[in-house]
Amino acid sequence: MSHISIHPTSENSVLITWPEKICPVQHQSILSTLTKINDELNAFIIESLASYNSIIIYYHFNKITLHQLKQRISNCITQATNEKFLNEDNNLITEIPVYYGDDAGWDLNAIAQQCQLSTEDVIKLHSEQVYRAYALGFTPGFCYLGTLNKKLMLPRKSTPRLAIPKGAVAIAEQQTAVYPNICPGGWHILGQTPVALYQTNNNSFEPLIQIGQQIKFVAIDKETYIELAGKSPITEEKM
Amino acid sequence: MPFLTIKKLKSSASFQDLGRNNAQHLGFSGSGAADEYSYLLANKLIGNELYDNSLINNEKIINQHSNVTLEVTLGQFTLITNQTCRLVITGADCQSHIRKKNGEEIVVKNNIVFELSPEEELNLGLPKKQLHSYIAIEGGFSVKTYLNSASQTVNEYALKLGEAELKEGKTLPFSIGKSSLIKSEFFPPEKPINKPDPQDNFHQSEQLYLRFLPSPLWLKLTPKTQQLFLNQPYQITPQSNRMGYRLCSETMIINRKASALSKPTNYGTIQLPDDGQPIVLMKERQTIGGYPTLGTVIQTDLFRLSQKRPGEKVFFVPISLEQAQAQLMAFHERFNFR
Repeated sequence: MSHISIHPTSENSVLITWPEKICPVQHQSILSTLTKINDELNAFIIESLASYNSIIIYYHFNKITLHQLKQRISNCITQATNEKFLNEDNNLITEIPVYYGDDAGWDLNAIAQQCQLSTEDVIKLHSEQVYRAYALGFTPGFCYLGTLNKKLMLPRKSTPRLAIPKGAVAIAEQQTAVYPNICPGGWHILGQTPVALYQTNNNSFEPLIQIGQQIKFVAIDKETYIELAGKSPITEEKM
Repeated sequence: MPFLTIKKLKSSASFQDLGRNNAQHLGFSGSGAADEYSYLLANKLIGNELYDNSLINNEKIINQHSNVTLEVTLGQFTLITNQTCRLVITGADCQSHIRKKNGEEIVVKNNIVFELSPEEELNLGLPKKQLHSYIAIEGGFSVKTYLNSASQTVNEYALKLGEAELKEGKTLPFSIGKSSLIKSEFFPPEKPINKPDPQDNFHQSEQLYLRFLPSPLWLKLTPKTQQLFLNQPYQITPQSNRMGYRLCSETMIINRKASALSKPTNYGTIQLPDDGQPIVLMKERQTIGGYPTLGTVIQTDLFRLSQKRPGEKVFFVPISLEQAQAQLMAFHERFNFR
């Protein structure tokens, strides 16, 4: 408990922080704690979200004092830590097909060059790993996946592109992600997926990737991409 | 069906309510009216009911958002109507007027409810100070919502979930008269006030002090660095918008600590990027961010900041959580809200 801090970040929110590391075991314990807090303190909570090593809780500050809230959160942390081995429902791996051809992977050759690898090696290193979804954010449906093989680690591009295509699979530092929609961005593009990253229904938004989920990328050829997407991948010239 | 039409839009405008307060875990911005004071005042003056999205579940507010207002930034906006309606304008004073068919012009004062008929057009000019004006209509706009709110967010237009971006020629349907669909079980109806309180000076014209709750990083800074941060003025730069206010100062606050893992952000988070020039996150902020943070500006001061323009200067001053909560509580009480 001593390594976990609970600090007020506004009139109606607290940030719970774990040690600064990207670690599946710690992250699972964070998600168990989040579930616990949402169950136990439901009446006081407006909204909550988790990231790599933190949770923010927005609460009705006229219904509970900070002191009481901290105490109840501490209880939840202790309970969740004790129960964490009972909750192992995240073994399912979601596969995301990726076409890694250089017409889709705008930076594939540049990445290979900078990492001193062949493009085949880059594809192999990216697709053999099982990733964990650590945080949802940046834009709806965007999920930070970690951890990337060290051989592929590159800083963000110094000048971000004005438009990255929907479905672009990209890397930056120790992370990889899929762009759910066209938007500006500074990550390096490896390929494109024909799969939609979210579904919308009336008043709901269902992301394909949930936080805590395991993800693996599977290489597909151009024909399969066109078959699944119903169109060719978007080249940089066409953007 | 009664509707307004945007005849002219030379700056920017969007539908806003109190925001999307339970979709940040999906990556959606909190969004909402930049200046809650003027937003709430508009609803109160027109007599539309106020409610808090976070207190009401989905079914009760399906597509009926009587408290949605138009947020017009830097005026230069013209509306016409196909049926007589009652409106009110609050916030930045755009020297508004109604132009009749015969060319006659009638001045429309802020904070006073007025009627607009199909023979007339409502013109908002360029305000001399402040940024955002709020237009509320009696009965409320009928607006497409998503995830419990009608608030529009620039970065989310591409998702095509709510109303499309407002443009010239767009029609804005509304309900005539008082909305009867929302029962006042949460908030008893308030007698609308028809005159602004002359004592009321929420947006002080003099120097704005941004009161903030210090972060753990702030507490680790040397007293000298803290004094430097508190003693110098910060100027609002032109790169400021509904997402964030970028500030600049003469002396930079340098934080040599390497950036940490991305964490959830707050409305009002003071980020400190490597260039030493702080950014205050506003309503359309991203849900998580990686910059070190010095603290969080209290909400009532953020409403004030949202009306400040590039070039204006602000100061920072720390405040305790108890004081911050008391300020917000008093603000809500002012509107008999929450």
